[in-house]
Formats: sequence, C-alpha cells, structure tokens
Amino acid sequence: MKFRSKLAVRCAKATNKLIKKLNKGSGVTLPGYVARIIDPKILTVMAEMIKEKTIVTMGTNGKTTTNSILYHALTDAGNTVICNRTGANMRNGIISAFVLATEDDCRLKADYACIEVDEIASVRVLPLLKPDCALLTNISRDQLDRFGEVDLTYQTIKTAYDSVPSTTLIINCDDVLSYSFLIEGKNPHVTYGISDEIFDDISRSEIRESIFCRNCSHKLEYDFFHYGQLGMYHCSNCGLKRPTPDYTATQIKREHEVYSFTIDDMEIHSSARTPYNIYNTLSAVATLKALKANVPHLKQTLENFDYGNNRESIFNIKNKQVHLHLSKNPIGFQQKISLILKDKGPKDIIIFINDTYQDGEDVSWLWDVDFQYLSDANVGNIITTGSRRYDMSLRLKYEDIPCTSTTDMEISIQKMCNNDKPNLYIIVNYSGLFNTNRLLSRLEKEGNT
Amino acid sequence: MKLTIAHLYPDLLNLYGDRGNIQCFVKRLEWRGLEAKVLPILSGDSIDFSKVDIVLLGGGSDREQELVCGYLQDIKIKFKQYVEDGGVVLAVCGGYQLLGHYYKSKKEKIEGLGILDITTEWKPKRLIRNIILHSPLFETPVVGFENHGGRTLIHKQTPFGKVFFGLGNTGRSGYEGCIYKNVIGTYLHGPLLPKNPEVCDYLLKKALERKYGERIVLTELDDTLEQKANQVMVKRYQDKKYVLTETIKRYT
Repeated sequence: MKFRSKLAVRCAKATNKLIKKLNKGSGVTLPGYVARIIDPKILTVMAEMIKEKTIVTMGTNGKTTTNSILYHALTDAGNTVICNRTGANMRNGIISAFVLATEDDCRLKADYACIEVDEIASVRVLPLLKPDCALLTNISRDQLDRFGEVDLTYQTIKTAYDSVPSTTLIINCDDVLSYSFLIEGKNPHVTYGISDEIFDDISRSEIRESIFCRNCSHKLEYDFFHYGQLGMYHCSNCGLKRPTPDYTATQIKREHEVYSFTIDDMEIHSSARTPYNIYNTLSAVATLKALKANVPHLKQTLENFDYGNNRESIFNIKNKQVHLHLSKNPIGFQQKISLILKDKGPKDIIIFINDTYQDGEDVSWLWDVDFQYLSDANVGNIITTGSRRYDMSLRLKYEDIPCTSTTDMEISIQKMCNNDKPNLYIIVNYSGLFNTNRLLSRLEKEGNT
Repeated sequence: MKLTIAHLYPDLLNLYGDRGNIQCFVKRLEWRGLEAKVLPILSGDSIDFSKVDIVLLGGGSDREQELVCGYLQDIKIKFKQYVEDGGVVLAVCGGYQLLGHYYKSKKEKIEGLGILDITTEWKPKRLIRNIILHSPLFETPVVGFENHGGRTLIHKQTPFGKVFFGLGNTGRSGYEGCIYKNVIGTYLHGPLLPKNPEVCDYLLKKALERKYGERIVLTELDDTLEQKANQVMVKRYQDKKYVLTETIKRYT
C-alpha cells in the first residue's frame, strides 16, 4: 500500500474523529472528501482490498432496503461486509464508508462491499469501484430538479455501465427502461421480474415514463401494469417484449397483512407489508445467486428481515397506532396511498412536505400522485405541515378533499391521539424524517410512563 | 356554459405536474357552476380544433419532444388557424419550445409549429430553480419552478413576465415566457395555474368570451389558500438574506 493512500486514510479518520468530537454532524461525507483530495485513487485502492465481491445498488426506489437485505444476508453467512448504510450514497460518502472501516494499519479486512450509489454519482463512482455486480431496482421520475429529466438519468447510468463492461448487471426486466440497458449495452447480466399481477389499481399512478419503445418509438402495449411503467409490455411493431426473467417470485400470497412468496424453490414467509418489498427481496436474491455467494442462512435472513429501516415505523402512542412512512417521489407516494386504503377503519393523516435541496426544491411531483382516492378512504382529519404545506393543501383542495395546515406537528399529533380513531398515518419526505422519528419516539415513551 | 380542454399528447408530454394545470381549469369552472370537458389527445389521435376552447401542451424530455414533433407537423396548419382566431393555448416547458420555429437540441434540430416567432437552443447547463415573475397582466406575482436546458429567444414578441427571481428565457434576458394573442408559452411549472389562479381565470375568461361572444365576468372564488401558497414563495425571495444564503449554498 502506497504511503499516499495510507496518509489519505489516516487524515480521513482524524477528520471523522474531529467532527464527532465537535459534535458537528455524523461525519459521513467530509472524511471521504479529505481522503480523495489526498489520494484521488483511494476508492480503487480500497475496493481492490475486498477479498470476495463488490456489489453496487442503484435505482429510484428501494435502494436502501435492497442494499440492507444484501448486507444482512452476507453478514449472517459469517462475512465481514462494508456498507454505506447511512444513506451516504454520493462519492464522498462512499469513500468514507471504505476508509473508516479500515484497521489500524489502514488496510481493509472485508469479504464483501455492499454499496448504495446515487444515480448521478454513478458515473464517477463505478469506474473507480469496478464492482462485480450492479443491481438496478427501477427508474422513475425523482427529484427532477436534480436529475433534469428521466432520460438524462438513464443516460447517466448508461455511461456508468459502459465504463465497467465486465460488471454483471442485475436488471428488473419488468421495467422497460431498465431492460433497455441490456438491449443497448454489452455487460453480462441477470434479469428478475414478477409475472403475477400483485399491485392494486390504487398503487398504479396514471403517470408513466417511457411507454414508447426505445427501438422503434412505437407505443408499447401492456397486458397489465405493476406500477409506473413496470409491467408486461410488448411492442407490436418491432417485436420487443418483456423477456422471461432469470429469477422470479411465484406463489405470492398476502395473509395477516404480510406477504409470503417463493423464489428459486425457496419459500419465504416475510414480514413485508407492501408488494414493492417483494421486488426488493427478489432483486437481492437474484444478485446473491448471480455472485454464487455462499449464503446458507438466506431463508432465515429474509424471513427475519425488518423492512422498516426507520423509513416505515409503527409507534404506539396512547391508544393509537402511528404509522410513519417516508415518500420522496410520486411512485413511492402512490404506494403509500394504496397501503393506507388497505386499512378500511377510521383514520387520520398528516402529510409533511419540505423543499430543502435534499427533498428536491421542486414540489410539482405532488400533482403526479393520485390523491383522489383519499376522498373515499374513511379519513377523519388530514393535516399538512412542512415548508410547502400550502402546496400540499392546494393539491388536496383541487381534489375537493378538505384539510388543515399546522406549523406545530406535536400539538396536532397529541390532539389526534386523543380521538377514538385507531390509526394515524404520517407521510414525510426526506428532511422531515429524522425529526419526526425522534418526536414520535419521545411521545411513545412519554405516553407509556 | 361549457369549455372543452384539449390536453395534447399526455402520453408523451406529462412532466412537472402538468396534470395540475388541467385540474385547475376544470375545478375553477366547476366551482362556478360551469361545465368542463377534458379531451386527452393521445399521440396519433386526430383533433378537431372547432370543438376545442383551450389547448394545453405540456413538458416532456428531449426524446419525447422529438416524437411529439412528428405528430404536431400533421396538425400544424389547423393549430395555427386556431391560434390566429383567438384560441386559448397554455404551453409549458417543452410545449412552449415546440410552439416556436425550432428547438435545436444536443443532437439535432427539431422543427416546431412556428406559431410563435421564437427559437430555442439547447445549452449544457440546465436552468433549474424557483422563479417569480411580475407581469403587467396580473396583480399578484406569478410563481413557479423552472427546469430547462433550452434557451429561448423571443425576438420582438411580448414576454409573459419580467423575472423578479430566477433565470427565465435565456438566463440573462430578464424576461420569461411569451404571450401572443391568447397563447401563453412559459417555462413555469410547479404546476403553473394552481398557485396563480389569476392566470387560470384570465385564460378561462378569454376562452369563454371567444366561445360565447359576450363579455364574461367570472364569479369570485375563495382563493385564500392559493394566495397563501403563492405568498410563501414571493416572501421567501423578497427576503434578501434568504436569497444570499441560497446563492452561497448553490455555488459551494
């Protein structure tokens, strides 16, 4: 190991310590920056120390959950795994995850690396990381103020893939946009997909990307849609069609609010409450199989896996169940509405919309969500909050759904916890998640003492 | 009274909450006891302009715009007649660009409708941020969000508004959008109409007057919420400290 790389690691570690001591945040991006400035090739140096395999996970929705499944499956098999679990998925955050995991001699003693990569960062990260496998969950519109438009996201990922031609791509072939990477590129690949109709009408937003054939620009025909542009498609003009996936989930059943399914002859009784988590599980399994990873406890790992991940938590406050959900884009939000509608009982809803850079400054996506279903969902109060609460209220007004706004969420929650409706759903976008989680944990504790 | 709103190619142009503009037209008619009919014109469908009172042309990606361009050439002459006859059009982002003579994208030159005397060229740095305009037509500032790679030259045409905060047509001209007869072309989405009900009512009034040939006075609606959503953005960018902080953040 070169002196320069060692110096980079040591300085990054010192930076991390300093940040923690000064209590100036979690210290997940600056150390990476410091390391990179000292040694621009640090990420490659680190990645080459991984004994077995490096996996990257990308995609609009489901990255964090899927990456977490991979991490748990590999760890449960006795491996040491590097993971950027903190959601630090840009270049500096990824470098931090590696350098901060090194031993005192600045070397890594890890078997695997499971790295979540932001789509925009992929162009700069993949060529350095040279992963064995690149998993893509799906592509849909997300933070258009950062990404520009979906086609630009597609081009960015394509450039990243082309820079690592020997990386095996794990692709959701139900998503025609994802499948196009295989048609237009040369990487080795494995596909996964679901052939049963498991999503309901409500979770299918009317807004779709790319329902036009990328080969011949003809409009694609669909037997059915899962959600967004995902589904069973074919082009009657040039013959492009959704292929038979290498890995699929079958015998999908929903009992007592959770799903069970079979992947590759393995029956899994999961704790997944939403159909998109079947996709996340399937993609992780396909990746592990493609890598021929030795994961003897996989079934157990998957059945014990907690899909909540702090992004879907339930709190018991007084007699009320409070469900906290993170939603950052229209596809994700639509899924949450479908979930709320599965609860037929009386309920209240709080929607928390901020517009910081992390959330996306453009809130126009709220108009791509089909909120009209909430008018018929046995909802008592709907309260909006956050820096763009009036935009959210306006969205509901134009569906003739009454709501109120607040700047004090705590009082609103407490008020609603005193009414007799059994459930309160709180949907937040990114920057509101941390504080809401903390607030609810505190209220739960206070209510129980 | 009843208006028919044609939404052109929603299967290709549906970015940035365009649906909100349709919803706004429809609801603001219905709340006044007037009727609204939405006519989605999918790619390949024919359109009878004599039965249409408002046309909405939304935003799409460069690839989708290329596809749309082919369909537009088929209706070019009739579309132009409709506009010259005072037909109401709201064109946003990609739709706005396509009303001009051409859009020179990264790869090629897409021929537009030539309805507005404007031209657009693609430049690498996209213009993305909140935007606020002052327009002599409206009392309240117009607020929205812009996200475009194209720089639009409007030559001698009238702009939609003067940029108070944001970038506008070219990023440096100080003006945004274009107004010609009863056509508004603009980069503002967010969507445009719900937070700017005055703009919505302006277009509805023009469409009703054209159809019924009489002076129309629209019933007042309670726009308290609309005003609040609008004011949040206006106040934010009137605050010089906030603007400074945002600028510093953007460049660091």
